[in-house]
Amino acid sequence: MQSFLATIRISFRRQLTYRAANISGLLTNLMFGFFRAAVLTALYGGQAAVNGLSLQGAITFSGLSQALIGFLSFFHWFELMHTVYEGQISSDLLKPQNYFLYWLGIDSGRALGSLLIRSLPLFVVFALFYDIVIPQTPAHWAAFLMSLVFAHLISFGWRFLVNLAAFWTPNALGIGRFAFGLSWTFSGFFMPLTLFPDWLAQFSRLTPFGAGVYIPFEIYLGLRQGDALWWGLGVQAFWVMALILLDHLVLRLGVRKLVIQGG
Amino acid sequence: MKRSVNLLFRLLKIQIRSQLQYPTAFIMEVISSTFILGFYFIAFALAFMRFDDIGGWTLGEIAFIWGLAEFSFGTMDMLFSGFDYDSFGPMVRRGRFDQLLLRPVDITLQVLGSRFVLRRLGKMAEGLIIFFFGLSQIDVHWTAVKIIYLPVLTLSQILFFSALFIAGATTTFWTMERLEILNIFTYGGNEVMSYPIYIFQRPIRWIFTYLVPLIFMSYFPAVYLLDKPDPFNAPAFFSFLAPLIAAGAFILALRFWHFGIKNYQSTGS
Repeated sequence: MQSFLATIRISFRRQLTYRAANISGLLTNLMFGFFRAAVLTALYGGQAAVNGLSLQGAITFSGLSQALIGFLSFFHWFELMHTVYEGQISSDLLKPQNYFLYWLGIDSGRALGSLLIRSLPLFVVFALFYDIVIPQTPAHWAAFLMSLVFAHLISFGWRFLVNLAAFWTPNALGIGRFAFGLSWTFSGFFMPLTLFPDWLAQFSRLTPFGAGVYIPFEIYLGLRQGDALWWGLGVQAFWVMALILLDHLVLRLGVRKLVIQGG
Repeated sequence: MKRSVNLLFRLLKIQIRSQLQYPTAFIMEVISSTFILGFYFIAFALAFMRFDDIGGWTLGEIAFIWGLAEFSFGTMDMLFSGFDYDSFGPMVRRGRFDQLLLRPVDITLQVLGSRFVLRRLGKMAEGLIIFFFGLSQIDVHWTAVKIIYLPVLTLSQILFFSALFIAGATTTFWTMERLEILNIFTYGGNEVMSYPIYIFQRPIRWIFTYLVPLIFMSYFPAVYLLDKPDPFNAPAFFSFLAPLIAAGAFILALRFWHFGIKNYQSTGS
């Protein structure tokens, strides 16, 4: 446990070190937030709400999705894969620490750092330009934070699984690109799922991608209350457990197969 | 000159051959990237079903300019992969660029031949599919001038995007790392070109009119090609400035590139 926390701390600090890169990334995400907000505003064309999503909610979505893109990092992550191909994994596996927790620690530190120096400032700046939705009760905030923790775990669980492909094939990059494309497709990141045909939106929400990315947005915007809120958190919790279980299973199979390249 | 061209083709041939090492994997990747990239448009189209238009433009009209910009960007991204600042940064930092400088061949040519991402065929295909989907949805009043202008416009877009990549790579000589902020102009510009530009906020329009004049690469030409009303009431010849501005941007970018090389001081490690 102690080494897990230490890993988080070190990784958190590492994330904060790259100041120029962080600022440059923040400005980029902010601009894309403005692009998306403009597109949604033009689509709404004066309508106050579409399928239950208000224009204000849609604009908030634009800012929030860009604010959280670095935190979730759902669509691009090949770090573990590289350690397999470069051979560093041999020393990582020898560490007296659970391999899954080791990577979870590294990734959680990164996510926390990103939340603090990218998500928060971006969203505050975005709020200066647009009148956005802001949850009013502590319970609402608590539910949102809870769903963010789940979202992080789902995102990590999925990326860990995808990266394990490197244990079997020398060309796992392609598999990774495809897998991340898949997660992107169903996440509702580019256009709010609420605007999709209802059946597709409903299906996407049940996938780990919609559950990981879109349910937190819905909770933040107040589109999920009462039973729907608990149902949403429940779907997320299910995927957290399912993915962690799957990760461990596949990891165990993989370690047995693993051939370390080079020497 | 002939020797240089031969060398460039040799370099590119090596690149292509190595990427076709695993042909099945390669084909799978091209197809999957076509679909994945295409999903941006599909997601937009699905959401669009709940609306009538965007700023007075139909889905088909959007697909027309969206697909064209995607195709041009994808083509450029393949031909000018060497200048992709995402990979050029590490190349400079790791000293591989210094190696190239030592060789008695034109440096621009070597960078051009250093990378050729054949996988971008997926983006080109995606762009074409969206473009033809757009064509099938709308009634373009084709004239001889329009038919001639369309390929000219496509080439102009490719040239303009390549200027952005070359300028982006040049900044690496000073920053030594890739600057994500450049994405605003390249990938962001690609996105802005996919919609009638007046839907964007005034500062964004300003950037893409004066700083990176993409407005002449997509919006004004499209007003002419699709006979759309222009709320800016710009003079008609604005629609035809694309080749001129693209050529200008390309020359400027090359100058900046040579200036960068002249002032380049290696990382020294």
